[in-house]
Amino acid sequence: MSNAQYDVVIIGAGVSGNLIAKQLGLAGKKVLILEAGLAVPDSREQYMENFYLALAKTPESPYPALAGRKGSEKEPVGKLPDPTKLPTPRATVLTIGKGPDKSYLIQAQPWIETHDPKLPPQNPPADDKGNIMGLQFSSTFERNGGGTSWHWLGTSLRELENDIQLETKYGHGVDWPITYSELQTLWALAEKEIGVAASTEEQQPLEVVGLVYPPGYEYPMQSIPKSLVDDAVSNGIQGLQVPGTLPDTPGGSDPTMYDVFVTPTPQGRNSEPYDDRRVCAGNTNCIPICPIQAKWDPTVTLGKALDTGNVKVSYQSVAYNVVVDGTNATRVDYYVWSRDEKDNLTKVSKSVTGKIYVLACHAIENAKLLLMSNNWNGIANKSDQVGRNLMDHPLYLSWALAPEPIFGYRGPLATAGIESLRDGEFRKYRSSFRMEIGNEGWNFSKGDPYTTALDYIQGTNNTGTNDGGPGGAPQRLGGLQLAQALNNIFTRQFRIGCMFDQSPMADNRVTLDVDRATGKPNNVDGLGLPRPKVVYGLDPYTMEGFRMAAYVCSQVYQKMGAKEFTTTGMGSAGDFTYRGVNYHYYGAGHVVGTHRMGTNPLKSVVDASQRSHDVPNMWIVGSGSFPTVCTANPTLTLMALAFKSADSIIAALNSK
Amino acid sequence: MSNNPSTPEGGPHPPPLPVASTPPSETTLQAFADMSAALTGFQSSFIRPFLDPVNLSGTFYTFAVSQVGQSRMDELMNAFDALTKQTPKPTPQQIADTLLEVSSSTPSPQAQLCQSIIAMWYLGSWYTPGVLGGNGFAPPALQVISQQAYTKSLVWNLAQAHPMGFSAFTFGYWSEQPASLQTFGVDTTNGGGQ
Repeated sequence: MSNAQYDVVIIGAGVSGNLIAKQLGLAGKKVLILEAGLAVPDSREQYMENFYLALAKTPESPYPALAGRKGSEKEPVGKLPDPTKLPTPRATVLTIGKGPDKSYLIQAQPWIETHDPKLPPQNPPADDKGNIMGLQFSSTFERNGGGTSWHWLGTSLRELENDIQLETKYGHGVDWPITYSELQTLWALAEKEIGVAASTEEQQPLEVVGLVYPPGYEYPMQSIPKSLVDDAVSNGIQGLQVPGTLPDTPGGSDPTMYDVFVTPTPQGRNSEPYDDRRVCAGNTNCIPICPIQAKWDPTVTLGKALDTGNVKVSYQSVAYNVVVDGTNATRVDYYVWSRDEKDNLTKVSKSVTGKIYVLACHAIENAKLLLMSNNWNGIANKSDQVGRNLMDHPLYLSWALAPEPIFGYRGPLATAGIESLRDGEFRKYRSSFRMEIGNEGWNFSKGDPYTTALDYIQGTNNTGTNDGGPGGAPQRLGGLQLAQALNNIFTRQFRIGCMFDQSPMADNRVTLDVDRATGKPNNVDGLGLPRPKVVYGLDPYTMEGFRMAAYVCSQVYQKMGAKEFTTTGMGSAGDFTYRGVNYHYYGAGHVVGTHRMGTNPLKSVVDASQRSHDVPNMWIVGSGSFPTVCTANPTLTLMALAFKSADSIIAALNSK
Repeated sequence: MSNNPSTPEGGPHPPPLPVASTPPSETTLQAFADMSAALTGFQSSFIRPFLDPVNLSGTFYTFAVSQVGQSRMDELMNAFDALTKQTPKPTPQQIADTLLEVSSSTPSPQAQLCQSIIAMWYLGSWYTPGVLGGNGFAPPALQVISQQAYTKSLVWNLAQAHPMGFSAFTFGYWSEQPASLQTFGVDTTNGGGQ
């Protein structure tokens, strides 16, 4: 393709796309990024205003095209937009469990609207393998310049060696087709790009789970101080040990006692000025938005890409067809959308050519684009693995009141965690997990400080704490008594979130919401493109991890003398029952697995450099390439893989 | 990480009422601020500072009137005025308890209006009087009243912290003990709400 318009066409201006664009730009390659959503704003002030005025301060609340919030007639407060009228609808927290008129993702039963919340939860039943299918997939993502990692937490943990060789080591899941030593080299590059604050000395205790660094390695900047909450947990659980498995774990037992201890979390936020960005001021708002960009986000790297002079971005450009002629990709068709003066949506169809194409538009959108291409018959899918093995980092949430004030709602959202239970023989029998300690009180858990404040103002007990009246009745307070009661609660609140190395399951799947008989889409977006249909569930191996996590959290709280208030089976999407106990699955936003990497083209979509097995001039990048979700949050590793992809793309261009 | 999906997307709310064209008088605003101090437990200097360019008292008074009507607000202000003229003068806590009817199991619409006024100061949002939360979650708010209503909302002071996304603190403060609750505007020594 010597007459191609660009060396490389990248679809998606998020973590991977921007990093690859920057590396290619630095190497003198001509790059076009097609970004479906709006441009990165010059200043984040408008996003901050959106956030301040949002009724529900969800991860997506600062970003465009959410529910109305000013109460105009056209845009009534709280009305969720109709995805059929939006050019780039996306999965949002407020639409989980809703029907296709509100939810972009087409899910199994729209749960909330078909269930009376006053009735007990009616969880999806287990199938004959014990799998709970038909859960509402609860992770969300953005479609705008910069992508979902506008609201990443900043957690920059490395995976463990056994995370990427789960099958070899423990006979479960699949291995990654890449060595740990190569990942170590790539992680160092990503840590420098992001500016990760951490200390290898502080991470040293995690050698017990196999976390080791190459000799002499040090992070780019000093670690972020731990919070008072972290200290309270760390000091309060001294000496705590838990077994590898609980009694009656299916398949076998691991009676080894494992130490439970707290370590500081490597974080992508500045402890010192870095890349012309400020130090963290502890706005406690990494999700949904850092007000001062002390946390790295993909727009930082996009800026560097543009500075090379070799990278262009075309915004409001939704790719809908990658043309494959023979074996190579030859063209991308895309819609450029705009809104006229009457706010009507218009679109113009365009095409662009490159020598190489990179799909970098999110695990679900990558799968959707691959399946939409070739007249919705799909490309790069000889393995039939495109869209399959959809994984989340399913999250179990627990919360408690400490015996003394520990002062949450201060500092970055999370500064430490319990990483000491991420590896062990138990991984033969149950999913492993990490434990994130939250610095935001019960904000994630209960929508606080709102729920507790209104409990004591109105005399309700939605949090479980307001039982100090006669016979355990809720109190209704005012004045100083109200202020002091709330002070007593808020300063003692904290929570722990556990994220699981979920099993890959072929039936957990993204497909197109298309009627195969008629060839017509069932549900479309504002551009007439079919929307993604998602089936999601958990297997007993993963759910046994939930059971263990609930046990460990309770042990932590007991050891600290804290009072646990965790509620499950709250009558909403994400509830499930395992072995007679109710749990609630929360989405972590870590969407993984829809174009898995592997060495065998019959069983995987891309190779270790994220190059398509079937279409040699196409790379499909991002967390969708992860064979398993592992125990660390994915952003650092997906950026590491993008460095490898960039090198392989440059090599491919130079060899032509 | 996602927030809880059960966060309400809005709920049933009555339409706003017409607002008086003349802004509230200085006397009215000071009385509203004094009443707000008693209800919230915060010192008047946090409710209505001597220099007050933001004027949340005015914003909140006007917003509440637009929701419940001038006559209901006047009745409440008259009730507060009568309480302050009693001898011996009730403490701010007694004023709050009386207006909120804390000993009653069924607060009157006027007491519910007082709850909504506390919620404005604490949370920066308008909660329709009498609409309660349920199923583990807070009731739906009508709207965040303004950006500054959020960034100056007082509930965060009760955590000895700052509104999420709006902090004037500096790097590393989270590893040290916060200032006292009194520094955050709640005078715990003299009955509060002064």
